[in-house]
Amino acid sequence: MMLARAMRPLAAIALAGVIVALVLGLLGTSPRVVIGALADGAFGNWIATVDTLVKATPLVFCGVAVAIAFEGSLWNIGADGQLMAGALAAGALGPATAGWPPPVAMVALFAVGAAGGGCWGALAGWLRARRDVSEVISTIMLNFVALQMLSWAVHGPLMEPSHAFPQSAPLAPAAELTLYFPPSRLNSGMLLAVSLAVGCYFLLFHTAAGFELRAMGRNRRAAVYAGLPVAWLTIWTMTMSGAIAGLGGAVQVAAITHRLYEKLSPGWGYEAIAVALVARLNPLAIVPAAVLFGALDNGAQAMQRSAGISPVLVQVIEALVIMILLAADSGASRRLRLALATSRLAGRIATTPAAGSDA
Amino acid sequence: MLTATGISKRYGPTLALDDVDFAARPGEIHALVGENGAGKSTLINILAGRTAPDGGRIELDGTSLLDGSTATALRRGVAAVFQTPMLFERLSWEENLALGGASQGSVGLELSDVKAQAYVRASELDFALPPPGVRVADCAIATQVRLEILRALSFNPRVLILDEPTGVLAPAELTAFLAMIRSLRSAGRIVIIVTHKLAEALAVADRITMLRAGRKVVELPATETTEDELARLMIGELPPPGVGHRTPRPTGEIALELENIVYEAGGRRLLDNLSLYLVPGEIVGIAGVEGNGQAELAALLSGAIVPQAGGIDIAAGGAVAVIPQNRDREGLILEMTLWENLLLAAPLRKRFVSRAGMLRRRRAMEFCAELLARFAIRSAGPAALAAALSGGNRQRLTVARAFASAPCAIAAHDVCRGLDLRAVAEVHQRLHEYAAGGGAVLLISSDLDEIFALSDRIHVISRGRLSAVAPADRNPVRLGLLMAGATA
Repeated sequence: MMLARAMRPLAAIALAGVIVALVLGLLGTSPRVVIGALADGAFGNWIATVDTLVKATPLVFCGVAVAIAFEGSLWNIGADGQLMAGALAAGALGPATAGWPPPVAMVALFAVGAAGGGCWGALAGWLRARRDVSEVISTIMLNFVALQMLSWAVHGPLMEPSHAFPQSAPLAPAAELTLYFPPSRLNSGMLLAVSLAVGCYFLLFHTAAGFELRAMGRNRRAAVYAGLPVAWLTIWTMTMSGAIAGLGGAVQVAAITHRLYEKLSPGWGYEAIAVALVARLNPLAIVPAAVLFGALDNGAQAMQRSAGISPVLVQVIEALVIMILLAADSGASRRLRLALATSRLAGRIATTPAAGSDA
Repeated sequence: MLTATGISKRYGPTLALDDVDFAARPGEIHALVGENGAGKSTLINILAGRTAPDGGRIELDGTSLLDGSTATALRRGVAAVFQTPMLFERLSWEENLALGGASQGSVGLELSDVKAQAYVRASELDFALPPPGVRVADCAIATQVRLEILRALSFNPRVLILDEPTGVLAPAELTAFLAMIRSLRSAGRIVIIVTHKLAEALAVADRITMLRAGRKVVELPATETTEDELARLMIGELPPPGVGHRTPRPTGEIALELENIVYEAGGRRLLDNLSLYLVPGEIVGIAGVEGNGQAELAALLSGAIVPQAGGIDIAAGGAVAVIPQNRDREGLILEMTLWENLLLAAPLRKRFVSRAGMLRRRRAMEFCAELLARFAIRSAGPAALAAALSGGNRQRLTVARAFASAPCAIAAHDVCRGLDLRAVAEVHQRLHEYAAGGGAVLLISSDLDEIFALSDRIHVISRGRLSAVAPADRNPVRLGLLMAGATA
């Protein structure tokens, strides 16, 4: 039973693969070449594999953030903004940590990152709990605010000293996460992401706080009748969700980019919604789900280079995996499918004007 | 003539219906009786096209009804009112009625016509309708059932199926409702009424079909049997008659006291200067027509609402356990396991959460298993989802949880709704024992028989106000008047 459940996502991926192969065959390309290139680009060698993990790391942070909020039926579409708020806080502190002992600098960077994202989430939580503002709307709006704030910061107060590029000054070396096997980008941020997922699993299913959160998510009215402090739980959950995404932003800055720039997030917060739902909101399952999505992203570029196939095809594969997974799991989760529909739509709305502003 | 032959239905390991035959003639009121889990609901779901049977045939006047679709059943003239109202909660009541037979065959939707028709029908039935534009979610259950009945009638059905319709109707409404059923009968329609109340089946129905454990036990004319015989057929033997006598112990201590509670919402005063006390060892009944503040009283004791004025005193170290009226919405979390549902009671949450905030899962599950056995709750075990329980077993679970949290007072709101004879006797017995053991019970009920059988003192609640009922007024007629708003 447990095994059958665990096999389901794999079967869905295989089925999606078969459908994609059929489509490729119709287009007149060899599915073997395309999928081979995809797999090679994602896991073909040590550097490629680590890059897949690098791409998966922010998805784990945001995926866990989304899962925690969704467990409480709080539809946090704002992991992207929370991640940027966290990154902004970390990137602002980073250059100032010169001369600090590295562990202190690292902890300080993570702390301000979590605090930044936490504030961003708390704002939406407070609005929901006290003013009954839908968190779907407020988190999407706060995404734009975070995006513009980041843009303003790297064009203004945090702009690097030469004022040549819209980016911040680099972090002091003390605050940078160690890369274990350069030139590969393997770093401790990934380890932090995995342990956070484990911690959140434990929190959800083994603690009283997690129980209260899940109870609120499944029947808010019954939770009120059971005397649970739902207003407080709402604020607390959104704060934690935001803090986790913000921590992901800080890790990204400390380990990979080492500085802030405008297009820091390619939309991890939205992709993470798909990751969390494919993982059925189980924090442990989010790790492999994020690696899958990371691998698809990473392999897409290689696929374009060696097989001449547009990386857009990868989005088709992702969409197929999600739909097949949710379809394979009928019955159990009308709630989740509703959440997916809402959040995909919200994500679409949120990204459309952002793309327009590029032009 | 409606005939069902050889109907079988299996749900996983349980055979809900086993080769059941059922027939109802035009101009007949046919009662379907049986215990919880006997298969009554499954059978009417099949008749109404909600569920497809595994085997068997259904015909209405020679036309087959068997394609498992409510739309076809409705078109052929079979309308049903289910126990849990199947209304669109976010739409207004007029819009809900408009989606009934009133809109059949027309493209436009004239809400004012629908409303006018509804008021005419409602006045025929003596039903009180909510003010225009009220959403169904904001209507009390009794109102929702009334709306369901109006909607079913709007289809002008040849067969009307009613699942436990009388449980939530007030005495005055009941008379008109029964008159309506009888007039349908004289118009040559078929009325099928599902009920646990044998006396009611005998009083209303022409014929009675009894199910037990998925099989038909007997079909007989109502005039040829008695309540005792039916009860024996239904559960094998008669339950102990009523409950024993109890002497409350007026020791001067108070288990629970409410003082001058005022609660207003949406510009209406729902609890009006309400005062009440409970002494350990007594059962106090609150009678009333639904929607007069009962739900708010239960919510208040749950802590779900905070009054604008007044105070609640609970005996030191004690807690009040509330059994809410709507177990699926307020009592349980259907998407959680049985043991997790137990933890919704604060005292149990305290007991199975360590000081560090960890859940004691194993101990909670053991405790749950024990409770399931003690209260004879049929389930797949503590790790099963509450959604997998039958309605009666869900109710047992909320009752079991209330007792298990060892409170100093229990407030039970329509605690026997949807329970069968044996289960009702069992719950009454447990409430009685609990009070005999020094507990205090607040029995909020629209069932006067229950109020009379159990209560030491009775109050009537009307428009959010409580009035004590003098011993001389302890009869259904006088109580009915008080419930309708007469002053004591």
